[in-house]
Amino acid sequence: MVEFNLPKNSVVKKGKTWPAPEGAKRVRTYRIYRWSPDDDENPRMDSYEIDIDSVGPMVLDALIKIKDEIDPTLTFRRSCREGVCGSCAMNIDGTNTLACTKFNDEVKGDVKIYPLPHMDVVKDLVPDLSTAYAQLTSIEPWLKADSPAPERERLQSPTDRKKLDGLYECVLCFSCTTSCPSYWWNGDRYLGPAVLLQAYRWIVDTRDERVGERLDQLEDPFRLYRCHTILNCTKTCPKGLNPAQAIGEIKKLMVYRQG
Amino acid sequence: MMSIRTEQTDILIIGSGGAGLFAALHAHKANPDLDIAIAAKGLLGKSGCTRMVQGGYNVALAAGDSIERHFMDTIVGGKWLPRQDLAWKLVNVAVERVRELENELGCFFDRNPDGTLHQKAFAGQSFDRTVHKGDLTGIEIMNRLAEQVWARKIHRMEEHRALALVPAKGGEGIAGVLFTDMRTGDFVLVRAKAVLMGAGGGPTMYRYHTPSGDKSCDGMAMALRSGLTLRDMEMVQFHPTGLLAGPDTRMTGTVLEEGLRGAGGYLLNGAGDRFMFDYHEHGERATRDVVSRSIYAEMRAGRTTPLGGVYIEMKHLGPEFVAKKFKGMVKRCADCGFDLAGGRVEVVPTAHYMMGGVEMEADTATAIPGLFVAGEDAGGVHGANRLGGNGVANSTVYGGISGDVMAEFVGGKSGAFREPDMAVAEAAVAASLRPFGGKAGGLYGLRNRLDDLMWDKVGIIREAGEMNDALAELDDMTAELQATGIPDTGREFNITWHDWLNLESLLLVSKSITVAALAREDSRGAHYRNDFPDSGPLEETTFTVVSMAADGAMKPELKPVDFTIVKPGESLIEGEAGAPPETAGKD
Repeated sequence: MVEFNLPKNSVVKKGKTWPAPEGAKRVRTYRIYRWSPDDDENPRMDSYEIDIDSVGPMVLDALIKIKDEIDPTLTFRRSCREGVCGSCAMNIDGTNTLACTKFNDEVKGDVKIYPLPHMDVVKDLVPDLSTAYAQLTSIEPWLKADSPAPERERLQSPTDRKKLDGLYECVLCFSCTTSCPSYWWNGDRYLGPAVLLQAYRWIVDTRDERVGERLDQLEDPFRLYRCHTILNCTKTCPKGLNPAQAIGEIKKLMVYRQG
Repeated sequence: MMSIRTEQTDILIIGSGGAGLFAALHAHKANPDLDIAIAAKGLLGKSGCTRMVQGGYNVALAAGDSIERHFMDTIVGGKWLPRQDLAWKLVNVAVERVRELENELGCFFDRNPDGTLHQKAFAGQSFDRTVHKGDLTGIEIMNRLAEQVWARKIHRMEEHRALALVPAKGGEGIAGVLFTDMRTGDFVLVRAKAVLMGAGGGPTMYRYHTPSGDKSCDGMAMALRSGLTLRDMEMVQFHPTGLLAGPDTRMTGTVLEEGLRGAGGYLLNGAGDRFMFDYHEHGERATRDVVSRSIYAEMRAGRTTPLGGVYIEMKHLGPEFVAKKFKGMVKRCADCGFDLAGGRVEVVPTAHYMMGGVEMEADTATAIPGLFVAGEDAGGVHGANRLGGNGVANSTVYGGISGDVMAEFVGGKSGAFREPDMAVAEAAVAASLRPFGGKAGGLYGLRNRLDDLMWDKVGIIREAGEMNDALAELDDMTAELQATGIPDTGREFNITWHDWLNLESLLLVSKSITVAALAREDSRGAHYRNDFPDSGPLEETTFTVVSMAADGAMKPELKPVDFTIVKPGESLIEGEAGAPPETAGKD
């Protein structure tokens, strides 16, 4: 018989339940992934029963309430609270999204919250994004122009400017990347949708003069072509962007340039 | 004794907003051999407020505009309180900086049909000079800056919280900064030849506020503890139309841009009546301070909406028009469950920006050798009122200057590592650990009480009696915080511990605001005294400075403004600066 060893911390145990306060009329249960580097324990799912009438509309409001009033050990990232910084990306009700713009009411039944899938966890809902950032850096997402900078700005027509719409709005939350099965399997070599969307943002910027070089760097069985158009990325993007389309456009450019 | 790890770098930057990242890039460019480290409370480029900038970047580029005009708008808008050499530098270097952002860093702002930069109208300015990227200008600037930092060998200390500025032992100057690595809870002393404080301000001690949740004025609090003086601290800008979504949500307080009023939006009180013309002849298009005070007066009179604010209504302009013209704002309201295009949205004035901060020289130097300051942590550029669009200009202009200056400083003979006064570092470690082991509970009640106190008694309309009460209450709360504990669960990514430390900073800086506001017995820009409603003679304008003694007592002082470039009654331009007078932006 073949024996399998499960990876460390892959078994999530049932955790503690924090019962609803007395007199609560509309009780909602938040089941939240907990893991701490403090001890050698496996991760667990803690359940918090809270009175939904005393909570603001967003999942982030519920998390803050739980931390402030029930369990001060709960840990998550947050900054801007208006969908601009991307810090509070997590998996809510099976979908990666931003806790600050996800309504509690959109979830039916218990609200289950996990960290972004397939990333190392720093603690509780906080993912380690080091690899994703390193991949972002690898595409050299900055303007490359060899011609001398003009006295004023480099000109660009409104039509060309429009090509960047749907790309520049990305808040780098990595919800898309961590929803992609292909990235789960080959995350060390496949760049993932968030980074490829950024790559395309520079490829179509008419001010950039190294398009060929950018495409060369992506011409690789893993970096680009592990996208199998599963489209989880586009479905999950909390900003309504379409990384799958951006990847498709890059693939098209690869074909066109072969003549 | 808790162990403190020591690291060292030539240049240490606290804060990863526009000021911090620009400083790092400039210092690196000036001397690529330097070791440069950036420390931030959150992830690089994601924490802080530059990212949240909607409006844009003021810069005199267009034909017909001039730096003199931008300067006069800044001085008149700041009610003659800005330090004029700082404002002059701002408007001059902004021109260079915006080209740098576009041509070197790859930022990309909206264009005119001929391919040149589009500049929109913004409140209190006599020319359309605000460069922008839709209404998400901050994301564009921060993403590009962060990428440039990633591209270089600049050391990143993400999720590191600064606890104290550590002085040189027995000598003058700064030796380094004590941090806690938030992920591990370890204490780290980073020794540096030069330190930039660009941690940002963020008046989150008010019930309604716009800044991100991690802002808590830590930089200004550390400055006070280190004996530095803060100027203009009474000048807290309230944006008139923050979203009001109830007490239990972090969405409350986020900004609905002032272009809504500029375009002809109505403000209605709880009874559904327009009220702005009862207060000012320009109605809804009056400036931020006037509109904020008028809304607040309606609220005090009890003419409020169900959640205690007023309504903004746009539908008379045609819902389709509104949805198209204000796409970002309509989306944000829809995200929060409100229909801006076709319905009414509840709004309330919201604390937005601190014009005050650490006193600095035009080269960003502070009174402590080796310590520099830039961005919202620094005071004096904006005076009594900041023009929309001058905020991100300020951060990037002075951040870049500090990078140049620090590179030169560490290369010169003053640029040596100083021996740190470990007693200060150890005392700061001990102070930060105080909540562990104390009786847990009550932390958030205290935080809410601070927010209510500052809003009610040191807010949009102020008077001596209430502010004196507030001072006493702030002292009580400070004592209560010191007696408040948190669960003893370890320091690794313990956000409740950081909430405690945040509150400690906020209490200290709240006190400095109150002390300055009590000292300033006139009404000017963002500061309005019910008991002293007149602005006083402009020629005799004074500004406040506040410093803290070792026993925690804060002393205010009034100093005359030195009109080094232009005096009240004079102008550098023909015609009217700060025009269209008293009106909100059209766009």
